[in-house]
This record gives sequence, structure tokens and C-alpha cells, in this order.
Amino acid sequence: MTIEVSFELNGFGVEVDVEAHLRLLDLLRDVLGETGTKEACGEGECGACTVLVDGRAVNSCLFPAGEVGGTAVTTIEGLTGSHGQPSFIQKAFLDHGGTQCGFCAPGMIMTTVALLAENPHPTESEIRQALTGNLCRCTGYYQVVEAIQEAARAGQVARS
Amino acid sequence: MGYGYHRPSTLDEAFLLADEIPDSRFVAGGTDLLVQLRKGEPEPSALISLRGLSELRGVETSKRVRIGATVPLSDVEVNPAVADMFPALAESITKLGSRQIRNVATVGGNLCNASPAADTAPPLLIYGASVELRDARGTREVTVEDFLQGPGQTALRSGEILTAILLDPPADGTRSVFLRKGRVAMDLPISSVAALAERDGATWPRVRLAAGAVAPVPLRLRHSEAIVEGTNLDAEIRARARETAQSEISPITDLRSTEGYRQHLTGVLVERALEHLAGEVGDP
Repeated sequence: MTIEVSFELNGFGVEVDVEAHLRLLDLLRDVLGETGTKEACGEGECGACTVLVDGRAVNSCLFPAGEVGGTAVTTIEGLTGSHGQPSFIQKAFLDHGGTQCGFCAPGMIMTTVALLAENPHPTESEIRQALTGNLCRCTGYYQVVEAIQEAARAGQVARS
Repeated sequence: MGYGYHRPSTLDEAFLLADEIPDSRFVAGGTDLLVQLRKGEPEPSALISLRGLSELRGVETSKRVRIGATVPLSDVEVNPAVADMFPALAESITKLGSRQIRNVATVGGNLCNASPAADTAPPLLIYGASVELRDARGTREVTVEDFLQGPGQTALRSGEILTAILLDPPADGTRSVFLRKGRVAMDLPISSVAALAERDGATWPRVRLAAGAVAPVPLRLRHSEAIVEGTNLDAEIRARARETAQSEISPITDLRSTEGYRQHLTGVLVERALEHLAGEVGDP
């Protein structure tokens, strides 16, 4: 069984027929070729597949592709500027060593986008709470927390 | 993998689909069901998504509180009326999974999945919550206690949909608390305890206690309640409640904990929850 879904991906309209049992993660990576979103655990524990659906962070490995119709999806590919320049959040992760092997980074960064949109000045404890659903097996999180603190400062400068 | 996926926009359409498609299953957020299917649970012929049903959305707080079955947990968590009247429920949601999970998972799904460790169940038990169940023939109301019948077992009949969670506002001066212990933040609890008490002067005439992850279903601790009701909740009473709670649960050993540790921990959580209610410690 296939279903037709039409939604917005990183600001562009997408209309596609998908197998009914696919997950949003499969739709993004295998059907649309947007491989920035990663799969690690495949069961909602690690957050590597985090994307935004209507601005909310979700695990795309647990999100049925059939539910994406009519929504606006943002993935890591949607953050870079028109000339491929990194967003201030991506830059902060780079500057602070918030990525080592890099596999968790797209999910970490999408979680950060949702966090800062809701709470532009998070405390360290709020940052750590927000990262509950994003596992990293390399950096030990200190650099990630520093990167998010830096991103919060940079975001403030960008808005002022 | 090859099941169908349907997204009805009205309840009647959902009932009709379930009637027409043998072996279909309803799905709300899907955060448990999708994992179960990938782990090789018997596949349904189709999933019937409840997310498009406006009847199952929204939180009404006019008189009796009505939480639509498919409201995402993160919306329930930040609802001011829920936080004000049912703080133990709000706290159980804050501790449930990650933000990514809470943005999608629902209270209705948490109950229908019927895990012995369901985080929202102990708070709903102490608040005396009910669920609204509907099928093509009508609507019935069942208490959460009667709804949860065993691991993965509920009072839902074939073709029936849990449409809302119903809660009566507690009496003025009621205190309630939720405590849980897991290995790490994201994990299911090893044990969880919810407690509620109504004060009358120096005594507490009405107390409700419930525990999760320590029996085939989340359960009320009625023997412990009987020990503390009508008392002043002093240290000696709390210690007796701890011992009684340990004797009225039936925990198992699994990958998260041993039976003995669950027994010990549940007693400690009951004692601490009563300390919170008696006002002898600050917020959990």
C-alpha cells in the first residue's frame, strides 16, 4: 500500500508516494536522499534521527511517514545558508568541539534549534534536560553544552 | 513489513475502518507500537491512525478535566490547569522519556500500551481518573484502575477507542507528589510512586498511594493507605507504611532491577512521598 503525502521540507514543497509502513526517517534518507539525518538505535533512545515537525523536535525513526502530510519538516540540511555556510548553532558546535565522530551531531543540533526557539537563554541544567534524548558516545557532553551556551549567546547577538 | 496505514478524520470513519479491516490496530503517537513492530511483534494488517481525529484533541478544564486521548504529552505537561490541580501527573510526564518522545507520545497511548511501568498510571490512580471508551454503538466510562488489567491487557473491547482521560479536580488543600527512580533519565522506572493526601487540621483523613513497575499492573496500595489515613503522618506511621507497601507489591527481577531492590526501593519511595505530603521535605 502506498500513500501520497505532501509536506514542506526545509521550505520547499514535496509531494511523494510512500510505502505506508515507512518512517519519516526512511522517507528523508531513502526516498528523498536527504542523508544528513542519521539512524543509530532506531527505537527512540538516541536522538540521532531528530528532526523538527512544525517546529517540534521528534524522533524521525518513530514518526510514521503517513503522518507528515501538511506539516513543515526541518532537517539539518535546512539550517545552512544559501551558500552552504553553517548556521550560528552549527558554527558553535564546530568551534567548541561539540562534534567528534559527528554521527550524533545532526540530532543534537536539531534539538538545540528547538530548545533555543522555545527558550533563548537556557541554563546549563535546562540544556542538559533538553539533551536527555540525544546520546553521544564520543565527547562526553561538556563540549556540546558549551557549544549550546555559545549558540545561545550568538543567537542573542544575531537578534539584537 | 508491509502493513497498511489509514488516517481517518472522524471517529465514525475510524470505527468503520476497524470494522472493515480484520487484524487492524489503532495507533496514536506510536512511540511504543512502532518499536514493538520493528522488534518482531506480530504485524497488524493495517494501522489506523487516531491523530487526525479532532474529537480526541484538546484539554478541557472547565469543570471536570478532560484530556483528549491524542494530546501530546508535552502539551499536557505545560497545561497550567493540569500542573495546578494534578502536579503528580505533570511531574510523571516531565520524567517520561525525552522531549522528542513527549512531543509525540500521548496519555491515551501510555494507558492503552498498558505497560506495568507506564509513568502516567500511578498519578492517574491516585486522582481517581477514568477513561472514556467509545465504539460505533456508544460511550462508556471505566476507571483507570479497572482499565489496566495486566501487562499489555486493558478493558478495551475490539473496535473500541480510548477517547479521553477524565479527572475530577481535587478538594482544596489536597497535596500530591510523584517520585520515580530509574537507572538513567531516559529509562523506564525501576519503581514509581504517586501519593495524594487531603488535610483536615492536624490529621490526613484521605490518602491515596499507587505504585508502578512493581506488579503486573500499576496498582493502588490500599493496605498502606489504610495505615496512614486519619493519622498525622508522623515518622512512625510513615515507617509502617513503608513496610506495608513492600508486602503488597509483587515485583519481578528483570534487566533493570532485582525483585529485592524493587521491594526495598518502593518502600523508600512511599516513605519519602509521605514525607513530602507532610511537608517535612521540599519539592522532589
